[in-house]
Amino acid sequence: METIIAALQQFSTLGVLLALVVGALWGTVAGILPGMGTVAALIIALPFTFGMSTESSMALFLGIYVTSVYGGSISAILINTPGTPQSAATVLDGYPMAQAGKADLAIGWATVSSFAGGIFSLVILIIAAPTLAKVSVAFGPAAIFAIVLFALTCIAWLSEGSMVKGLMGGMIGLWLTTIGQDNLTGMTRFSFGSEILRGGLTLIPILIGLFALSEVLYRTAKPGAQTTGAHMNVGFRLPAWADMVSRWREFARACSIGTFIGILPGTGAMAATFVTYTAAKRYSPNREKLGTGEPDGLIASEASNNAVTGGALIPTLALGIPGDGGTLVLLGVMTIQGVVPGFDLINNNPQVLTGAFMMVLVANVIMFGAGMVSARVFERILRAPEPLLMGMILMFSLVGAFVVRGNPVDLIVCVIAGVIGVVLRIAKYPMAPIVIGVALGFIFEEKLRQGMIASRGSVWGFVNDPIALPIFALTLTIIVVPIIRRRKSTIAETKGQAQ
Amino acid sequence: MPKSLGLLAAVSMVLASTTAMADYPERAVTVMVPFIAGGGADVPARFLAAEMEKELGQTVIVTNVAGAGGTVGATQLSNAEADGYNLGFMPVGTTTTQPHLRGTSYGVDSFIPICMVASGPFYLVVDPASGISSWDDFAAKATGEGLTFTGAAPGSLAHVTSVALGAMLDTEIQYLPTKGGGDAVNELKGGRADATAWFSDYDVRFGLNALAIFAPERSELQPEVPTTGEFGHPSDIAVWMGLFAPAGTPDDVVARLDSACETAMATDGFKGNMEKANREIRHMNSADFTAFFREAFEANGELLRNAGLVKE
Repeated sequence: METIIAALQQFSTLGVLLALVVGALWGTVAGILPGMGTVAALIIALPFTFGMSTESSMALFLGIYVTSVYGGSISAILINTPGTPQSAATVLDGYPMAQAGKADLAIGWATVSSFAGGIFSLVILIIAAPTLAKVSVAFGPAAIFAIVLFALTCIAWLSEGSMVKGLMGGMIGLWLTTIGQDNLTGMTRFSFGSEILRGGLTLIPILIGLFALSEVLYRTAKPGAQTTGAHMNVGFRLPAWADMVSRWREFARACSIGTFIGILPGTGAMAATFVTYTAAKRYSPNREKLGTGEPDGLIASEASNNAVTGGALIPTLALGIPGDGGTLVLLGVMTIQGVVPGFDLINNNPQVLTGAFMMVLVANVIMFGAGMVSARVFERILRAPEPLLMGMILMFSLVGAFVVRGNPVDLIVCVIAGVIGVVLRIAKYPMAPIVIGVALGFIFEEKLRQGMIASRGSVWGFVNDPIALPIFALTLTIIVVPIIRRRKSTIAETKGQAQ
Repeated sequence: MPKSLGLLAAVSMVLASTTAMADYPERAVTVMVPFIAGGGADVPARFLAAEMEKELGQTVIVTNVAGAGGTVGATQLSNAEADGYNLGFMPVGTTTTQPHLRGTSYGVDSFIPICMVASGPFYLVVDPASGISSWDDFAAKATGEGLTFTGAAPGSLAHVTSVALGAMLDTEIQYLPTKGGGDAVNELKGGRADATAWFSDYDVRFGLNALAIFAPERSELQPEVPTTGEFGHPSDIAVWMGLFAPAGTPDDVVARLDSACETAMATDGFKGNMEKANREIRHMNSADFTAFFREAFEANGELLRNAGLVKE
């Protein structure tokens, strides 16, 4: 109680509130803009914090951090382009729902899910941060590798009907992550002697190229396609209360998986959304409809990626170990402001921690409002003439691809990915498997290699790991069970036909 | 007539360029940081830029070109025009270990060191739960059952530290590489590695214990931590960083920047910001820093060659 009062005294100022509102609004907008992800949004805001108080700069950054993930869902739903990598899975059900004329409802589902994920993970953060921080360090390379492997099986679900195309896409994605410097040996691979390729490829330019740029190029090549906004019913509509209550299991599963994976350092929101989506594909009562505009898909993606925000704050604040790219920059800013997250913060400055919790709570509430407002603004923007709209997407995409690293190779990669994206669209290859491959490839290889080094070159280290083993078993079950089922039903069918 | 006009133009161009040097800087100066914003090298660069701006009377823009241990940005800087408007703020790894490890197109002669700005000495740190509580415990475990040291990628300064420790204790130390940053501490806390190298905030940030500091003298920040020299193994391992210009930058421009850097670093604004961010200031002027840089370049090359990490 004393800490709460101390926190209120320290943080409930007009400056802090203003910084939170500005942060939350900028976070939402940056999330919507294709290419402007969480990290880019934070970096752009960084210079402003130099003149601000410690409390206000924390507020600004927490506001951006919490809301930018949510903003990405709006562009995923409306223009088939995830605004942030974390929203890549939102495209799968969000866009079909929008095409069916229910864009307002899709945004409603995404908002409710994001809010639920954010609040759930915050509650966990408040109750159990120090305890869960201990759990997080117990997950070694083998265990995290097992989780990433599980997430990769999502490629199979997303490739139904064209399994070979999907798996090829996944392989290409994984291969792309091997270009450039290898983090664990320092060796350079597939750089073809080029100095700029040495830095390797990153996810964002590829993602922007495949989704946003290829959309622009495709529409330019195919003029006369209908204007986006008109038939979609863009706006904001909350789903019916009964609909939400009946899906409580989906919410609970997505929030728990998201929070949990968020806690594991370096695993990230992409893995969380794909693990959750795979789980929904297996356990949701509406699993047959996933991928066609099913709310369960939106819940799986949006509740889990926002739950990661609270989860990732646990090791960041409690251990000083950032959980993802966003928390890395967040930690940098707190350090500049003289607040050292970690040991000292938990033990000697609990009011700063409590203050951070309050700000996350308020940021989630503002996010809800920002969603309602920006959905309506977006409605107007989508009514703009198509060439203007496409021009804007093109500009923001290229800026977004460049801004994080400032490396010119990212622009070239983005354009190449855009052209490849058009070819893939025409050839009817699914795009998501490539993105999953790139998103998870880095950590997949890193943890595999680390595990191998730790066990001195023996694969038994992975099987002997008490946490990894059950996850491997679960992964195997999830692959094998549907195959056996299908076999059985084919056998039953042929028997039926024979009789 | 056209001939004399051409001559006149040439003369006035020469005049213009000499006056430009005298008036340097007459437009914005760019300081490139080869890592992302908010990171270890970026923060002091921004603090310095803010003060140098006042001193130079021109805007100083900090840009970030990240990738491959800073080599992408450093390569770009080495190819940039050497007119004093393109500077870089780079750390020890990018400038003195990466050229040996990666065969970069830039080397020791590609840059002119202007001033050293910050330097954070490494500490040998362990988790309190590890059961290792002194240098002697550490040495006993390293030479006895063996231990695992963790840190960033091979060739990183943490790895160099691990190799140096192995040489000090005359034993083989297993190295577990991570992506760097706090990831190494995760392996420590999880009991999958025994020790790592970290800066002076190891206690407030991670709650870890230090066994020794890799420096010639004890630090004012952690005066109770002994130096490795006190155990008979003198060392000097620190992550330092400073301002560089591409080779060929005119001497008077370098001199101007050298003095501007010194003035900027003496301001209360710079000192206060650095202290608040828990960063250790270390100033060296251009001449000292140049000698230091060349020596470090050779010494680190030697260390990496001995560790078998240099691709010839």
